Order: sequence, then C-alpha cells, then structure tokens
Amino acid sequence: MDSQWQIYQVFEKERADLPHRNAGSVHASDAEMALENARDVFVRRPNCLSLWVVPERAIFSKTVEELQDNAWRTEMQNTSAEESYLVFQKQGQTARETFVVHVGDVAANSPQQALERALETFDDKNVFVWWIVPERAIIKNEASDAPSMFEPAHWKKYRNHLSYPVEPIMRELKSAQEMLEE
Amino acid sequence: MPNNSLANKILSVADDSFILGHRNSEWAGHAPILEEDIAFANIALDELGHAQLWYELYQELTGAEPDRVIFFRSAAEWRNTQLVELPKGDWAFSMTRQFLFDVYENVSLERLVHSTNPRVQEIATKIRTEEIYHLRHTSNWVKRLGLGTDESHARMQRALDELWTYALQLFVPLENERELIAENVVPDLGILRDAWQEKTVTHLSASGLQIPENIDSVPNLRAEHTEHLAELLQDLQQVARSEKFGVEW
Repeated sequence: MDSQWQIYQVFEKERADLPHRNAGSVHASDAEMALENARDVFVRRPNCLSLWVVPERAIFSKTVEELQDNAWRTEMQNTSAEESYLVFQKQGQTARETFVVHVGDVAANSPQQALERALETFDDKNVFVWWIVPERAIIKNEASDAPSMFEPAHWKKYRNHLSYPVEPIMRELKSAQEMLEE
Repeated sequence: MPNNSLANKILSVADDSFILGHRNSEWAGHAPILEEDIAFANIALDELGHAQLWYELYQELTGAEPDRVIFFRSAAEWRNTQLVELPKGDWAFSMTRQFLFDVYENVSLERLVHSTNPRVQEIATKIRTEEIYHLRHTSNWVKRLGLGTDESHARMQRALDELWTYALQLFVPLENERELIAENVVPDLGILRDAWQEKTVTHLSASGLQIPENIDSVPNLRAEHTEHLAELLQDLQQVARSEKFGVEW
C-alpha cells in the first residue's frame, strides 16, 4: 500500500491581469487540505487573488519531445461526454518564463482530444510543456474565503522572500572581509 | 481604576497568545509532514505576532516594554492559562489544544471588533481574519484525526479528555473584569463560554469525539502555574538573562 499522500499541483493568480500559473506542488490527504496546504506553502507574496489545486494524476502532460511521437493520439478514447479542459503552457526556459501558465480553454471529450484542439488553437511556438486539465478536477478557493486566506500576507513582509536580501548582504560581508585581508 | 483592569486583561490575552505560539513553535521541523510543518509554524508565528500587538497596547497602558515583560518575568508573574503552557505532547494533543483555543479566540474576536476601546477594536480587527483561517485549518485536522484510524481517534480522545478542563480556565474572569464588561470594552466571559461550548461540542461530536463529562477543578488563578511554565521560561529567557552573551536589552 502506498502510504504517501496524493500530490496536488498548485496554481496561483497574483494580479487581475495575469493568468493562473503553476506555483509548485503539495502533498495532502484530500482536496480541502490541499487547498490549505497550498495557501500555507505558497501564499507568501503579498498579492494572491485566487488559488487552485489539481490532483497531479488528473493532469495530462506532454513535453515537446513527447509530442514528436504520435502514439498519444491513438490513445484517444472518445467515450465520455464533451467537457471543458483548461490548457496550460510552459513557454520558455529562463527564470521568468519557467512557470506553467493558463493560456485558455477548449471543449473536448478526452484529454488527448483537448490537446489536439489546443495545438490547433493556441500558439505553439516556444512551448516546452503542455498541460491539459479537466475543469471539473480543479478545486478553487471560495471567494468568501479570500480575505482570511490571502489578506494577512499583505502585512507580513517577513514572509516575503524580498524582505531577505541575503545576496547583497553576503556580497557586502565578503568585500569587507577582503578589505581586511588586504 | 479601569485602566488598570484593562492592562491586566490585555496582559492575560497577550500571555496566552505568546506562550501558545512558543509551544507551537516547538513543532518546527518535527510536524508529521513538510506542508503541515510550514502551516503549523505559520500559526505559531501568527500567535506570536498577535501577542506582540497586545504587548504594545500593554506598553501604552503601563509603560512596560515588551522585551522586559517577556524576558524578565518569573513564572508567577505570567498571566497565561495553564492550557497553553502544557508541553506540546503528541500531534493530537497540540492540534486539539490549538482548536479549542481557536474557537475561543474566534468567539472573543467577533465581539472585540465592536469594543468601545478604539485600540482594542483596531487590534481585534487586524487579528480576526487570520484567526478565521486558523480555526478552519485546525477544525479540518480535528475532523480527520477524530474520524481517521483507531489510533488517531484514540489519541484525539485522550487529548480532549486531558485538555477540556484546562480550556475552561479561559472563561474564568479576572478581578475587576466586570468594569470592563459594563463599559463594553470586552465581552462577558459567560456569553463567550456558551458560544464556545456550542461550537466546540458541535464540531467535536461531528468528529466522532466524546465531550468529557467529569470536569475536574478548573484552575482558578492566572498567577498559578504548572511546573511546565518555569521550564519553558528557562528555555525562553536564558539568553536575555545571561550576562555572558553581552546582549543589550
């Protein structure tokens, strides 16, 4: 028996004009606790407007390399009814682009079909990874819970990594030490 | 002197938050899983942060500096309940304690935000959103452990049996507290106790736990402590009190 808790991927929206993007993952016993763990682990930056969690096994994921092999297209099972899928892309390799971000939605009757449609619909230049997520698998915070989940981070600068300028301090210490040694 | 009664009340509120925050901080690096280690450390930090706000108000009322109050009082001078000073025990014990305390804080804060004292009102408003989240988080844990395995259920019941009487000390009024209630500075502890009882009993029962029926004698005076507080203070205060570190306070 696997004694590990499930992994949930966490998506955070930091500004009204920005899409949800993947912040990382958490372990949790169930969806409700996953949302709380996501809040406690990831909502440190002052601005979080919305938080989603998705069981990792609900995500259909393909890298560009994997897409070159067309085998996934034949795995298609068109048995279920059409439903809404969210499309995510990782669009680059630099630190700023490293997040898997929400780019839009498609309707399809399987994750594979959703990916096919996403490949037709969305710009696929410079995409490194595609994630396809059925909308019904997404657990979202209730709007009424937003104040207690997100507002305290506003006045807790000590939780923000920007409050700890370790690098400049280390540089300063090092140069002071070098001056002493000279 | 109403100001004096208020200062005593604020000190007791600050001390409860501070000592509980310190106890919870002992879980840092030891919680059952990484995510909860962070979550529970956040709660511990929040309690210390809330204590800081109350100690600042205490300073406004009495002139006493928070650092002196925290690092240079002996056990008999602390005004926290025995509930919060008990050793952290197992995970079920710490979680049950935090839950019982969170319900108390929530029923208290939802009234303190209407306090006739503007500073009390201001601090309560700031703290309240965070406490709503604490209660949600600990309620979820209590439910999962209470309804979880035989082992988790047994540990939760044991924790509750031990903690219930201690928790009731939160509702023992201080000397002269009547004056503050009459002026609507703080809520009546009798009303808080009823609200607390209703909320805790409902949730604990839904979590498969039995409410203890035999109430032992509830600790009465906040100046009286178990031996655990002195041990905690020894740990907490040793650097501040040690001359060899040459720390200026």
